[in-house]
Amino acid sequence: MQKGEMYVGWSTKDDVRKRGGSGGLVTSMLAAALEKKFVDAVVVLKKINEFEAVPIITSDVNEVLNSAGSLHSVPSNFAKLIANRNLKVALPAKGCDVRGIIEQGKRNAINLDNTFIVGLNCGGSMHPVVTREMLEVMYKIKPEDVHGEEIEKGKLIFETKDGKEHAITIDELEEKGYGRRESCRYCTIKVPNNSDIACGNWGVTGDLVGKATFVEINSEKGAKLLQNAVDAGYVQVQKPDEKGVAMRAKIKGVMEDLGKKWKGKVFVPIENGRLEYFRKELEHCIDCGACKTVCPTCSCGDVSKCTEYHFRGDAYKMSMYHLVRFLHLADACIGCGQCSDVCPADIPLTRLYRRFANPVQEQLKYEPGMDMQKPPYFEVKLNE
Amino acid sequence: MTDNVYSTICPGCNFGCGLYIRENGTLEVDFRKSSPANAGKLCRFGMSLPKLYAPAKSVIDGKEVTLEDAAKEAAKRISAGSAAFLSFGNTTCEELVAFQKVAGSYLCTGANFEALPKDTYQTLSVGIPYSEIEAAKHIVLFIDPYEQYPLILRRLLSAKKKGAKITAVWWKSMPVASETIKPSDVSKLALTKDSLVIADFHPLSDSEQVKSVLALAKNAGARITFLKPFANSTGAYLLSKDAKQKSLAQLIDDINKGTIKTLFCLESDPSALIPSETLSKLTNLIIQTGQSSSAKANIVIAHEPLYKKKGTLINNEGRAQALGGAGTNGLDALGIIAGSKFEFNALHDSLKKAIGISAVDEFTIPKYDRPAYGAIQAAAKPPETKTALLSVYNPFMWFNLADDNDFVELNLNTAKALKLLKGGTLKIKSNGASIEKKFKVAPVQENVLITTRKFGIEKGMLTSVEISR
Repeated sequence: MQKGEMYVGWSTKDDVRKRGGSGGLVTSMLAAALEKKFVDAVVVLKKINEFEAVPIITSDVNEVLNSAGSLHSVPSNFAKLIANRNLKVALPAKGCDVRGIIEQGKRNAINLDNTFIVGLNCGGSMHPVVTREMLEVMYKIKPEDVHGEEIEKGKLIFETKDGKEHAITIDELEEKGYGRRESCRYCTIKVPNNSDIACGNWGVTGDLVGKATFVEINSEKGAKLLQNAVDAGYVQVQKPDEKGVAMRAKIKGVMEDLGKKWKGKVFVPIENGRLEYFRKELEHCIDCGACKTVCPTCSCGDVSKCTEYHFRGDAYKMSMYHLVRFLHLADACIGCGQCSDVCPADIPLTRLYRRFANPVQEQLKYEPGMDMQKPPYFEVKLNE
Repeated sequence: MTDNVYSTICPGCNFGCGLYIRENGTLEVDFRKSSPANAGKLCRFGMSLPKLYAPAKSVIDGKEVTLEDAAKEAAKRISAGSAAFLSFGNTTCEELVAFQKVAGSYLCTGANFEALPKDTYQTLSVGIPYSEIEAAKHIVLFIDPYEQYPLILRRLLSAKKKGAKITAVWWKSMPVASETIKPSDVSKLALTKDSLVIADFHPLSDSEQVKSVLALAKNAGARITFLKPFANSTGAYLLSKDAKQKSLAQLIDDINKGTIKTLFCLESDPSALIPSETLSKLTNLIIQTGQSSSAKANIVIAHEPLYKKKGTLINNEGRAQALGGAGTNGLDALGIIAGSKFEFNALHDSLKKAIGISAVDEFTIPKYDRPAYGAIQAAAKPPETKTALLSVYNPFMWFNLADDNDFVELNLNTAKALKLLKGGTLKIKSNGASIEKKFKVAPVQENVLITTRKFGIEKGMLTSVEISR
């Protein structure tokens, strides 16, 4: 196995294959990494219910085999969880997780040589509270009756305990304010080729649909991880057919184009009153600091410029905390949406950070979190 | 190795914010985005929880002992008589039921129900669902949401987005409100049956002010909801409805008079609310707690912190929420003091019966009786002071936790009149004491200083002060 190769694979363990998404390959690959001492620990989601799972670090193979797999309504980010832990670890990662992990790697908070990143294709995630409301308002079903969910052909499908499927197009849901988180709509990293190995159901064809995972190896580490799972007897793989490879590329392209369109829709230029726009958006800030704590690219810790320059007794029109963070994130924001998720005043922080980050990152042709390239110096042009 | 992660509720107030506490050598806060009360969002206090949960040690007169020994010694000293029992509601319903059994006739939840009409008990105890706040047409705030109950803010913003008008009856203009009325001009407030009044109720509430707000709502046919400052205030009030309660003021009076010599505090730091000179008059201060307390206790009975406990909390809405831990050391200690073991399941059943549920489900708010209360005669008067220092009670004050709040707010005219210098300080004198503080210019009313920190010169919520450069 080597970088660039693609496979279709599944877990050899019956229960994992049945319970896990797309044949349980990712779960089994992580379990094999632990079992064969390839890594010290693995990050998994411990499932509480259909809308809640908590990320944990574990070296218990059974915890891994019983984990939740991926859930669209659990929008967590794992980068900070493994930072500064000095662990040899394997973990599943959406595109934004991978980008956070790489950014932590640049800041020496994660040793990427010891981190095996199993990328997960991602069309977007949903906030659990919004999802529950969406189920009641749009689908007319009780959240407690939901048994599983899937995204297929542009539709979000919920399966209820009575075996029935309930499908609505994502476009319709998002038009009504439901569906994916805003940052997921304009994200363009749908297949995480910045991970060691990218996994997902796009490109699985024929009888294997829903029962297998399409895998693309992105690095030597990724090849070793998959080979280890095969050698350990946890996973079985075969070469994908050409139709599947083409289908996967097509879905990826369509999803990326959709992300670009959303980006244009969300980031309508502010013609006048830019300062007033930001000041108004931030006027309800209560200085909780959650946006910094959760930010997967921030590795400053408790003592940092944004907090040290800030005093709640200052009466500036915009706090130094936010000004420093706008500057810091101009070349570091990966648009993961975590800051918006946790803001107690519902400030659309990711959108605000991206208003600085989009032009800076486009001008520098620099995308944080995609590789180990360090950000180039950037200049700030002042209006005359 | 597997992470210890606890699904828990923030103890900062009675809003019922869900979160995870992760034990990773140090404590870390993680966001529980599926929590119905807060969608995983936390305020500054919630983000500070690792600082709050400094572990406590069991001690008797300064000597470290086991929990069991501390509880036995507590039982001995309580049995000598003249004992009072205080719990503001910072712990589970199950512990509170057990606590009432231990307390017998002298129970204090801090709230002064005695001074308020009996038919307002339920209204004061259980608030309305947050979804009803979001659906309101006119909201009147008798609180500062930014400082006191920050997670209410997003509900207010949601209501505003849907067209609600928000009026603040407060000493400072706030961005969420389109109209601000001075508390002394409250007669100008126009309420209708479409109005929703949001106030708060706590051990330091002025009963006349509470009556006044209740009367305003009653006279207009408006709805009213009270927010509360402790994790299980609602549970504490609901469960002690039929118990003979004494107010905090009565307790302080009894300690000062010497009729109470032993005070047993359950998960409540008395130094946050009871003057130190009063506490020093006690023969025995006994604190049962899961976190280190700033009060100097003769006996500390230390057990697991709230996030490790097994049990149920009830939030402002009346929503029953299960804590994710398994710890019952607190109940065990109460059992030693009572002389007979408390069974968790029996206590849990009595809680369910009390609020009429068959199982705890955080996604369903139990149906509570919300009886109308009768007409109220209110006699609240605006304070007569030339310049007042307003103490805005908030979680950092209730828990004696450090915050970035060492300043006062005042308006520009005051700053100009006193010729205050930017970056300089302001001298504040009251009751013979003098302090010097940094200041922040904010849209505060004339002759008012606002603080969210305890400076030690306060006498209640509004303190008459003199100020100078």
